[in-house]
Amino acid sequence: MNTDILDVRRTYESLRKSNTHLVQSSEIATACVCQNLFKLDYPYGAITSDKDYLIANTVHDIMSLCMGGPVIENWQSSPNECQDLTRKIVNESREIVNGVMEDTLDVALKENRFVPDDFKDRVNESYNGLITGITRRLMKYEKPLKVITEATISNVKNHHEGRIDALLEYHDGYGLLDWKSYDLSKTVSDREKWQLIANSLLANYRYCLNENDWSKYRFSCIVHYTGAYFPRMETIEKEVEKIKINRKFAHDVLCGVRVHAQRPNFCPVCDKGLEGSKECQFYQRDARLFYEGMLPAQYDKLTRQFFAKRYAILKERAETHLHKHVVSILIDRYGEEEAIRRLEKTGVICRKFTYDFDDGEKVILSGADNDIPLEPRKIVRIIGKEKDKPLLSCISEQASVMEVINNKITLSLRSKIAVRRAKRQLLDLPIILLRDELNLTRSMLRPIHTFHKLAADIFIPQGFMMS
Amino acid sequence: MIYLNPDQQRILKWRINSGGIAGVIGPPGCGKTTFGALQAIKLVSEGYANRVLLVALTNSAANEFSRELSIVLGPDASKFMCVRSGYAPGADNSLPIPFSNELDVIKKKQIVICTTQSLKRLSRKSSPVRFDNMIIDEAGIERLEHLLSPFVLGINQLGVQMMKESIGYGINSIIELASTCGVVATVVGDPKQSRPIRSEDYDLSAIEWVLKCAKCDTLYTTYRLPDDLAMLVNEFAGYQGLTSAPEIAGRRLVVDCNTIDKEFRNIINPDKVVTWLDLDGTEEMAGPSSWYNDLEARACVRICHEIKKVAPSKSIMVVTRYAEQRRIVSKYLQQLGLGVRVMTTVGALGTQSDIVIFTIVRNNPERRIGAIGSLQDLNVAISRSKEKLIIVGSFDMMLNAKPRLHNLGVQPKHNFPQKLAQLVSKEKYGEIVEAPPILH
Repeated sequence: MNTDILDVRRTYESLRKSNTHLVQSSEIATACVCQNLFKLDYPYGAITSDKDYLIANTVHDIMSLCMGGPVIENWQSSPNECQDLTRKIVNESREIVNGVMEDTLDVALKENRFVPDDFKDRVNESYNGLITGITRRLMKYEKPLKVITEATISNVKNHHEGRIDALLEYHDGYGLLDWKSYDLSKTVSDREKWQLIANSLLANYRYCLNENDWSKYRFSCIVHYTGAYFPRMETIEKEVEKIKINRKFAHDVLCGVRVHAQRPNFCPVCDKGLEGSKECQFYQRDARLFYEGMLPAQYDKLTRQFFAKRYAILKERAETHLHKHVVSILIDRYGEEEAIRRLEKTGVICRKFTYDFDDGEKVILSGADNDIPLEPRKIVRIIGKEKDKPLLSCISEQASVMEVINNKITLSLRSKIAVRRAKRQLLDLPIILLRDELNLTRSMLRPIHTFHKLAADIFIPQGFMMS
Repeated sequence: MIYLNPDQQRILKWRINSGGIAGVIGPPGCGKTTFGALQAIKLVSEGYANRVLLVALTNSAANEFSRELSIVLGPDASKFMCVRSGYAPGADNSLPIPFSNELDVIKKKQIVICTTQSLKRLSRKSSPVRFDNMIIDEAGIERLEHLLSPFVLGINQLGVQMMKESIGYGINSIIELASTCGVVATVVGDPKQSRPIRSEDYDLSAIEWVLKCAKCDTLYTTYRLPDDLAMLVNEFAGYQGLTSAPEIAGRRLVVDCNTIDKEFRNIINPDKVVTWLDLDGTEEMAGPSSWYNDLEARACVRICHEIKKVAPSKSIMVVTRYAEQRRIVSKYLQQLGLGVRVMTTVGALGTQSDIVIFTIVRNNPERRIGAIGSLQDLNVAISRSKEKLIIVGSFDMMLNAKPRLHNLGVQPKHNFPQKLAQLVSKEKYGEIVEAPPILH
């Protein structure tokens, strides 16, 4: 027994000394827009938007429940009366929509968040717009066998992770959906498209075990306000390489490798003077002054301290993916079943759970025995093990352990909506609990950026910065 | 009327009359949180500051600040002057201090209590809240980057302007930069009690950064540890002057010896503040980096059971370095239905109990002591108790411990497990007892 545990512990030990970063699809998309823009977020921490995505998140939550319910139930291939069908779906979704809005408002109230007066109207409008987009454009395809929503897929070997809004499963393949609650025609970059293609790579991994295998790919689509965008296969083929290059770039940056960021001919942020452009120019000038050896000595010293701190924070971000890396390495080494058995002995994975009960917010699972190696406040990923799908691509939800008594474990999911989603698509599958971590590093970078700018303000003569 | 001891008076006077960033070291039980709350009250009530921020890393520590303020100010004044901000479910609603994240509400209050992670809510670009003084607790467990979140809220643009005009000043560190930009903060912590989680040996904690770059002072009077334990902790951690407050120096566990089961009489012995139960259990690996020792876990539970029998009103806490040992001990305690807290050394920071049982866990022929060999973990484990400390584990293991090598294979300067064993073995501060057969 000890040799199994020792093997797992040694894997952890070796990984602690290496980089275990995963790049999110959304980050890859940002790097595709402009590599400097990606660095602005990580490692600079200069993105300081006060935006609260309450409405967009609520619409996503509604879609995650309605897709598997009223939408799929009313699916018609190439419907004649799109408006009628839209109205029917919207009417049948009323209960879900109202429920999600009430739950969201409850949480917002508890957390003391700002809620706009027209919150409900805007959510309803966005939802109606998306359903219109689905009936008008997406329903040209036949009804899928199954819908999976909010699927987190980690392809550890390629350092890639993403959360896919919805996957439509057909007997011979899949369709990938992404919701945008705004009108796509008014956007200024192709960021949404790149995110969609990056997610398609993850979906290929889920269905074919290989991100380059497009044999199960049927379509991908951004459903937006009253419309839908389907990238053509030629476009995808053309863009995949760009995505891979930028994924490597983002991974290298996170790992602290010094890579030169390429500025595109046209940057929709800097060239249009959008939010973030001043910060971007600040760091570009800083880098230029550094290479020219023009940084004042004290400022240079402080800058080095700022970057040391930034990379310490990035290391913390990498550690949040440590468990996934161990799982991936052991699966490669021993195969999935044996790897799970070994990880179970170490308490990194727990399985043989069955769904017992939920009170709308918390889920109680029953274990096979009284020795559940988890404690309150630990973060876990509840994975519904799907047949023939890699473990880290199966349907999952994140939760924190509330209580462990004998063979019962109480888990608190992120929201009531997550509980409802889990009940619909996850809890009737064989359940595996994998240890997980929260990534709270983004907010730690912001103050460093503030002090970095302050130091520049004090030490760098005005003329230097303007040149 | 609030009574302040000479250390507290000295430090309070110093911090009120000086700006910038400074450190206050608070050994175990010296009332760091109480001092922070008192300082905040003094600053606002006497007009030295308009708005003070009290920050802690965890919600429970932030709630402790709220509790202290409520006690000192009373319910009405604390409701009027203070606000708790951050993550609503983490705030203690039983306290009179209201909760809010609304900037308009916060700006009307003079004392704001928040956790480090939630400070982003106060630093909205459109309308940030500014604090002209702040007190940051638990800086031993934080890293420098954690300190910057509160510091951002203390930047004084006038200070920045003045700095630009007198650029000749030597600023060599982020702490000095923040200090000269008008940030006024008292950073409280104890580098001998805690280290940032997952940091490398060579990484400095936030309090160590402050001690390196700014002035500091130390609180020396403990209100938790009775004389024998205070002396043991003082010598073990090298505080150079930690003493018990006169009113608690002679505090002992009061229990009728005749009511104690004879097998446990030497262990619970109320005449000795520190007892080491020499038990030769076997360590077992668990999880990615944890350990457990079943024999020690069972012994702890039996001792708890006996103490609950003879002294039911006493609070008991079992402390261990290892999460797996905590889980096993909790599981056994759950079966008996005993109301005993089980904490890891990290979780036990800032907590106390009448009786503390410290389970060492590690015991191997190679005498590799691992993570429990650190000054911080041992110091926390032995300094939580108000009346009695029982150490459970192999004495020989500790006496001959081989501490973990630092990164790059460097031998650590001190052998803390050995130092602790030697201090107890001299019978100066405690006694070693053999485990009775019932515990084997």
